[in-house]
Amino acid sequence: MIFVENLNKKFGPNHVLKGIDCHIREREVVCVIGPSGSGKSTFLRCMNGLETISSGSIVINKHRLDDSKTNINLVRQEAGMVFQHFNLFPHLKVIDNVMLAPLKVAKTSKEEARAKAEMLLTKVGLAEKMDTFPGNLSGGQMQRVAIARALAMDPKIMLFDEPTSALDPEIVGEVLAVMKDLANEGMTMVVVTHEMGFAREVADRVIFMDQGRIVEEGTPEEIFSSPQHGRTQGFLSKVL
Amino acid sequence: MALYFGDLLPYSSLLLEGLWTALYITLVAMLAGSALGVLVYLGKVGPGKPLSILCTCYIEAIRNTPLLVQLYLIYFALPALGINLEPVWAAVIGLTLNNAAYTAEIYRAGFESVPHGLREAGKALGMKPGQIVRYIILLPATRNVFPALTNQLILLFLASSIGSIISLPELTNAIMSVSNTTYRTIEVLAVGGLLYLGVSALMSLASKRAETTLFRWAVGTHV
Repeated sequence: MIFVENLNKKFGPNHVLKGIDCHIREREVVCVIGPSGSGKSTFLRCMNGLETISSGSIVINKHRLDDSKTNINLVRQEAGMVFQHFNLFPHLKVIDNVMLAPLKVAKTSKEEARAKAEMLLTKVGLAEKMDTFPGNLSGGQMQRVAIARALAMDPKIMLFDEPTSALDPEIVGEVLAVMKDLANEGMTMVVVTHEMGFAREVADRVIFMDQGRIVEEGTPEEIFSSPQHGRTQGFLSKVL
Repeated sequence: MALYFGDLLPYSSLLLEGLWTALYITLVAMLAGSALGVLVYLGKVGPGKPLSILCTCYIEAIRNTPLLVQLYLIYFALPALGINLEPVWAAVIGLTLNNAAYTAEIYRAGFESVPHGLREAGKALGMKPGQIVRYIILLPATRNVFPALTNQLILLFLASSIGSIISLPELTNAIMSVSNTTYRTIEVLAVGGLLYLGVSALMSLASKRAETTLFRWAVGTHV
C-alpha cells in the first residue's frame, strides 16, 4: 500500500530525513514515535506531498509521489490527513466543513454529500453539532470534525500528525476512541503520536525515529517491552 | 456675516442628485475595484513571473501617482488614442483602477493573516490552488481586513469629488455650480460638507453592522 525507499528530505542545509525505508501494508496501523525534531512529522507530510521529496521514492497505491507526472491531488484524495491544530475552516459550519471536499473535489451531489457528512458526524458523535461553527467547539470536538472531514473523501489511508498534542489531557480520550474505532474497521493508518498507551494498544507496528532515521521498528510488545536499541530505551524511559 | 441657507432650497434636488451620483460611482468602483484588487494580488503572488511583474508595476504606478493625474489621463489622453469616454465612465474606470491597487495591498495583508494550516487542510483534501483561495482563504481574509476595506470605501467616496474636474455631475460639481449660481458659497460648501460627512458616517455604521452579520462565524475565533 505504501512503499517508501531511501527517502531523503532536506530543508536547505538541514538534512531532516536520512534514507527512510518503510513498507506499510493494507489495513495496518503504524504508530511513529520519537523525540521532537526526529523527522516523524516531516516523514508523514511527505506521504501526501505536503513536503516535497529531496531524493528517494514514495509509492502510495501505485501513485509515485516522486514522479512529476503524478497528479498529487488524486493521491491526496486517497490519503486523508488529520493535523495537530485541526485546521477546520472557521467560516463554514461543521457540516459544510465535512461537505466541502466531496462537493468541490469529488463533485458528488449535494444530497449525497450531505447524507455522507451526517453519517460521518454521527459516527464521531457530533450529530448535534452539525450547524455549529467550529469556533464554538472544544478542541476534542474540533479534532473529531477534522477526522470526519478527512473520511468524507473515502480515503484508503489516514495520516494523523500528532492528533492529540494540542488537546487538554482529559479530552484526548474522545479523539483516541474515534481513531480506535477506525483502526478496528480496518483503515490503514499512519499515526505520529506521543500517546504511548494508544500505540501500545492499537498499533500493529511501532516505528521509533530519531535524527531523521528509523532506529527501530516492531510490534508494540517488542518496542515497549524489550527495545533493542539504546536510543529507543533512552526515549521510552523518559516518556513511559 | 449673514448666512442664507434658504437660497439653497431650490437647488436641493441638484445637490441630492450629485450625492447619488457620487454614491453609486463609489459603490461600483468599490465592488469592481475590490474584485480586481484580489485578482491583482493573486497575479502578483502567483507562479507566473511576467504576470507577477506586471501586477507589481500596476500597483506601484497607481499608488505613486495622484488620482487627479490618473483621471486626467483617462479622460483627456485616451481620446488621443481614439477612446472617448463619458465623464461617468471615465470616473468609474479611474476610481476602480485606483481602488484595485489599494485593495490588492489590503488583501495582501488579509491573505497573509490567514493561518497557513487552512491552506494545508485544503491541499490535503485534494483541492486545487484556485479552489483553496475561493472556498477556504477568501472569506477569512476578507473578515480580517474588513475595517481596512471600510476605510478604503470612505476614502473612495471622498475621492469621488475629484470627478468634478472632468465635469462629472457628482456632489462637488453640484456644490460648485450652486455656488456659481447663488453666490452662497459658504452655505453650499457647509451643506455639501455635511452631506459628505453624513454619508461617510453612515457607511462606517453600516460596515460595523455588516461585520457582525456577515462574519457571525467569527465570534469567539481568532483567525
